[in-house]
Amino acid sequence: MMKFIGKNMDRLDGVDKVTGAGTFATDITAPGMLYGKILRSPHPHARIVKIDTSEAEKLPGVKAVIHHGNVPNNPFNTAAPMYTTVPYLKPVLDQLIFCEKARYVGDEVAAVAATSEKIAEAACKLIKVEYEVLPAVLGIEEAMAADAPDIHPPEITPEGKNIVAEIIRIPPGPPSDALQKGFDEADVIIEEEFRTNVQKQCQMENMAALAIVKPDGSITVHCTTQTPHPTKAILAKAFGVPASKIRVTNPPYVGGGFGSRIGLSGKSEVVAVALSMATKKPVKVVYTRKEDFTATDTRHASIVNVKLGAKKDGTFVALDLKGYTNTGAYCTFGAELPGVLGAMTLAIYNIPAIRYYGHSVYTNRTPAGAMRGFGNPQGNFALERVVDMMAEKLGMDAKELREKNIAKAGDPWFLPYPCSSSELAECIRKCAKSIGWERRGNLNKDSSHIKRGLGMAVGTHVSNAWPFCVDYDNAYVAIQSDGSVNLSVGCCDMGTGISTSLPQVCAEALGVKWEDLTITFADTASTPFTIGNHASRGAYAQGTAVKAAAEDAKQQVLDYAARLFKVSPEALTIEDSIIKPVEAKDKGVTVVDPTTLPGAIEEAAAAPVPPPRDHKIVKPVNTQGPQKGISLEGLAYYAHIRNKQFIGVGRTIPPNAPPWHCVAAEVEVDTKLGTVEVIKMAAAHDVGTAINPKIVEGQIEGGVVQGIGYALSEEILYDSKGRQAHTSFSAYMVPTAEDVPEIDTFIVEGSDQSGPYGAKGAGECGLVCPASAIANAVANALDVKVNELPMTAERVYELINNH
Amino acid sequence: MKKITVNFTLNGDAVEVSCEPDKMLVDVLRENLFLTGTKIGCREGECGACTVIINGDAVNSCLIPAAKVMGKEIQTIEGVADKGKLHPIQAAFIEKGAVQCGFCAPGIIMSAKALLDKNRTPDRGEIREAIAGNICRCTGYVKIEDAIRHAVRVLNEKSARGGEK
Amino acid sequence: MWQKYLFPEDVKEAVSILSSSNGLARVIAGGTDLMLDIEGGRHVIEKLVDLSRIEELDQIREENGIIKIGANVTCTKVATSELIQRKAPALSQGARKLGSKQIRNIATIVGNVVRAQPAADTAVPLVALGAVVEVVSANGTRTMKILDTYGAGFAESNIDSTSELVTFLYVPAHGEQEGSAYVRLDKRKALSLPVLNVACKISLAGETIKAASIAMGPVGPGPRRAVDAENALAGSNTSAENIHSAAQLVRNQCDPRNSLVRGSKRYRVAVISELAERAILQAVACAKA
Repeated sequence: MMKFIGKNMDRLDGVDKVTGAGTFATDITAPGMLYGKILRSPHPHARIVKIDTSEAEKLPGVKAVIHHGNVPNNPFNTAAPMYTTVPYLKPVLDQLIFCEKARYVGDEVAAVAATSEKIAEAACKLIKVEYEVLPAVLGIEEAMAADAPDIHPPEITPEGKNIVAEIIRIPPGPPSDALQKGFDEADVIIEEEFRTNVQKQCQMENMAALAIVKPDGSITVHCTTQTPHPTKAILAKAFGVPASKIRVTNPPYVGGGFGSRIGLSGKSEVVAVALSMATKKPVKVVYTRKEDFTATDTRHASIVNVKLGAKKDGTFVALDLKGYTNTGAYCTFGAELPGVLGAMTLAIYNIPAIRYYGHSVYTNRTPAGAMRGFGNPQGNFALERVVDMMAEKLGMDAKELREKNIAKAGDPWFLPYPCSSSELAECIRKCAKSIGWERRGNLNKDSSHIKRGLGMAVGTHVSNAWPFCVDYDNAYVAIQSDGSVNLSVGCCDMGTGISTSLPQVCAEALGVKWEDLTITFADTASTPFTIGNHASRGAYAQGTAVKAAAEDAKQQVLDYAARLFKVSPEALTIEDSIIKPVEAKDKGVTVVDPTTLPGAIEEAAAAPVPPPRDHKIVKPVNTQGPQKGISLEGLAYYAHIRNKQFIGVGRTIPPNAPPWHCVAAEVEVDTKLGTVEVIKMAAAHDVGTAINPKIVEGQIEGGVVQGIGYALSEEILYDSKGRQAHTSFSAYMVPTAEDVPEIDTFIVEGSDQSGPYGAKGAGECGLVCPASAIANAVANALDVKVNELPMTAERVYELINNH
Repeated sequence: MKKITVNFTLNGDAVEVSCEPDKMLVDVLRENLFLTGTKIGCREGECGACTVIINGDAVNSCLIPAAKVMGKEIQTIEGVADKGKLHPIQAAFIEKGAVQCGFCAPGIIMSAKALLDKNRTPDRGEIREAIAGNICRCTGYVKIEDAIRHAVRVLNEKSARGGEK
Repeated sequence: MWQKYLFPEDVKEAVSILSSSNGLARVIAGGTDLMLDIEGGRHVIEKLVDLSRIEELDQIREENGIIKIGANVTCTKVATSELIQRKAPALSQGARKLGSKQIRNIATIVGNVVRAQPAADTAVPLVALGAVVEVVSANGTRTMKILDTYGAGFAESNIDSTSELVTFLYVPAHGEQEGSAYVRLDKRKALSLPVLNVACKISLAGETIKAASIAMGPVGPGPRRAVDAENALAGSNTSAENIHSAAQLVRNQCDPRNSLVRGSKRYRVAVISELAERAILQAVACAKA
């Protein structure tokens, strides 16, 4: 019977956040602080011929003006894993603090530190930049054409014109004839192309960094990064400063992330540090919402080609997948993301012959990087549409076709870790029941202009980035001299509740009272290295390290206590911060002073000098039972006055395990206008064990609503001059509270052994399937092909009228 | 530029601020009064992170010149708890899991409070209308609505027992 | 952005400040649009003239079949006014859809008119309802129809907020067998400008439409009256076929731009008649109720 795992513990940061007392990077100030503002390129592609900062420097209140010519130019990549990637993908370090050539509208050209934001903005306008405008390309096909301009030096695009890094092939190596043989077995083959548009994370807190560079060269940065430790490493590289002189911290909260700041938060940290170096004062850089839209990583727009072959009984025999992702002006995550698109899409169904070919393409648009799902939503949309089309062609129910082919626990597959568990079949059952799947096909009996449809999608994801990226964690658990416990882990809580879930793992593993446990997190000065929070890895990977640290601490405590009890350590356990015999688990014990235990008496007698006088400062514990126990406080104090602290250390590389999910949607389409209304969503997730079910539900629900936006209304389009058209919340339509349908959320518990207490990844999973399910529902309602997201009213209207 | 003096009531206390004449209320709250609970999400009135209550109405403080609030009664998130005791709305947000990153929370709690201070029996449409001007990207609004409905129940129970408002 | 923020006690004082400030003083009521415009550099001003202390501008009152609405009246007050819900429902429906609760609590419907956006949620119904505004300046008082307040260019008003102010809106209240409705196409249900909006007022005599007034936006620089459709409806029967045919004619007065954000011209012209049809049908139902 678990005390903390699976329990809806109230979030530890709840009171801070509902009272406004909790601080975010945008709230932090420092004495003598200056404000930094960035000058950005108005051109999508332009050489910078000359920068004249003289007028700007003269403006009263301006303390520094910086640009490519007067800051370090060590190349880096703002994306964390890219900087520390595994050997078989070479790092693409194609970014500088300020560009030497503008590659998109918004590229950082210069920055000013001044005594107010207003003055800094005014000074930016006084910087004179002479540009030589170059031809620009915005689309994938356009950028790959032979006559397209080279956005980066061709040396870094050896695979082809504007092709980022290496082409991803699954399986690796040159193609064999296995795939063709697979298609030869097919009775039906469907081949389709799909396009998805740019989506934006729209986390509520904008990018922010307060950098304090001191005269001794030490650098402190309070910022919005999701990965403090890797960000520290990036800053060390960018500035040529030892990492040991740098401290990066969230102070302690981050207002959302969704992938927008894995690594640097746009350029806010590097610009703030550079300005602080130049002015020798603290400098704060806070992005505006417009800068967030135009100059921070978006989701990749994509073109995905699917060719699926099946036998007439519905068995899938071959799948050929191609993915092209528009990574914009800089690589950030563009090298590895196409791999995730391919891998996660190929992994859903058990298909004997599979192949993936994919890569990113540079264009003169806002860089695309990591956004919740990381390529998976794009591939999922494409394949799940084709599965529905296949079902229709075969005359089979779309749910049954999926159930027949989904990968099952223990199935062999191509991923470098086992398919260790899957409750996807149960997820499908739950969604189908909730949405009323049996009604599908019978919803539009009359000739009303309102058409109803049901759709479903299934998918998988990861529980961290091992072994695709460098991925590991450390944690320590230090028992204080009063028995209270500090857990230290460098995670970032951007809303996922990891700063509550990890203490739940720790408290469970250690046996300590909830109120005695405090977590220190995010600050690189007081936590050991963790790769941070992305890839849905918090609970699984960081939880593994925390569990190891707690178990290590527990072992040290039991080893020590065993000497006092004069039993072997295996005979003892810790429960509710009381060390007691194992047989007394779940039962009361009489808590005694450790000095009265037989081993302690022996120790005292054998001591060459009298032992230290034990002050009566340990609180008595008034429980009773036939056996004896000692409080953790009593033991910790006993040890402390004998010069010992129990510090458990966890150093772990996680394995990986697939979470699974199913989403079903019911929609209503007004065929006279093309508008789509979502009536109901059902989402069922196999996350193994939900450490905190309420938190997991919150992640799923948030993902569903982001998915509604991805499906119907969210996109960033560009005009012919390469300028973003959607640059504010008034143009970019995320769902409001009045846009949310009924949502049924199901956590389906599974039995995976690889993660802490059976947990698997959850964070990104919520956004993998909802748009695919809605697309399938719309296609079902209208009996049309849906091949593009988002399904705006205008696009749907065209589909209806060109049918 | 000559500074102006603005007097208003903030969370029940009389307050006097000296600031530039064109400073916006949200900046006066955060910078002059060091109350950083009210957040800035967009500065365009499009996200509600800056929501405060003025004379009983929820408004976007990023669009209100400080000068405009002369003589008015303003409530911010810092004034919602009563001497450390959480308001039922705040307690409900924690209990129902309605808080994730917390950046929208102050604004959305103020919108909910403005509603419940006037209307103790809101229907679903009225609750949604009250918070539709607050963007939350984390929760999908589901548990936020649960929390507000729960707060309604708690507040009505308190009244029924003759308790505090 | 501005140096002085003033609170005149009455209309006379407000006008006096404007006329003595050389075009560098500007009226502010709610200010939700104005703040963004000033921040965006649209106006250069020294003084803001805040109307909120002028009590007579707070009123909503019916006098002799006309609803008088003061310049300080917020969208929330209009949306929740029982009088307007009963006697000019297209206006309360429009006010309810504007922005968000926070915006509606501050933004005024007069400000919505003066801001001269083509797709304003309250200006479009006001045009259909035949409302007029009273404008006061140092030169005296004049009355203007809503459409006449719109200038030739996009978001241009013929009311100069540096020298004059709108004091009251006068909206004819529905009589017997009169009804109105407001319909809106949008990309989400709150915090969004309309992709298209249509307001319609209908006067019936039994099953015959005596008169119809249909306003639409954004199908040009300002709201447009669908005069061809109005003429087709006048004197005709309230049958669904008549209404459907008349609604097709609204396209004749439609000239929206291509917008990457709001939608293409082609799509908006294609669907405007469907929206108009719905507005007309709802207005007829309202008139019959």
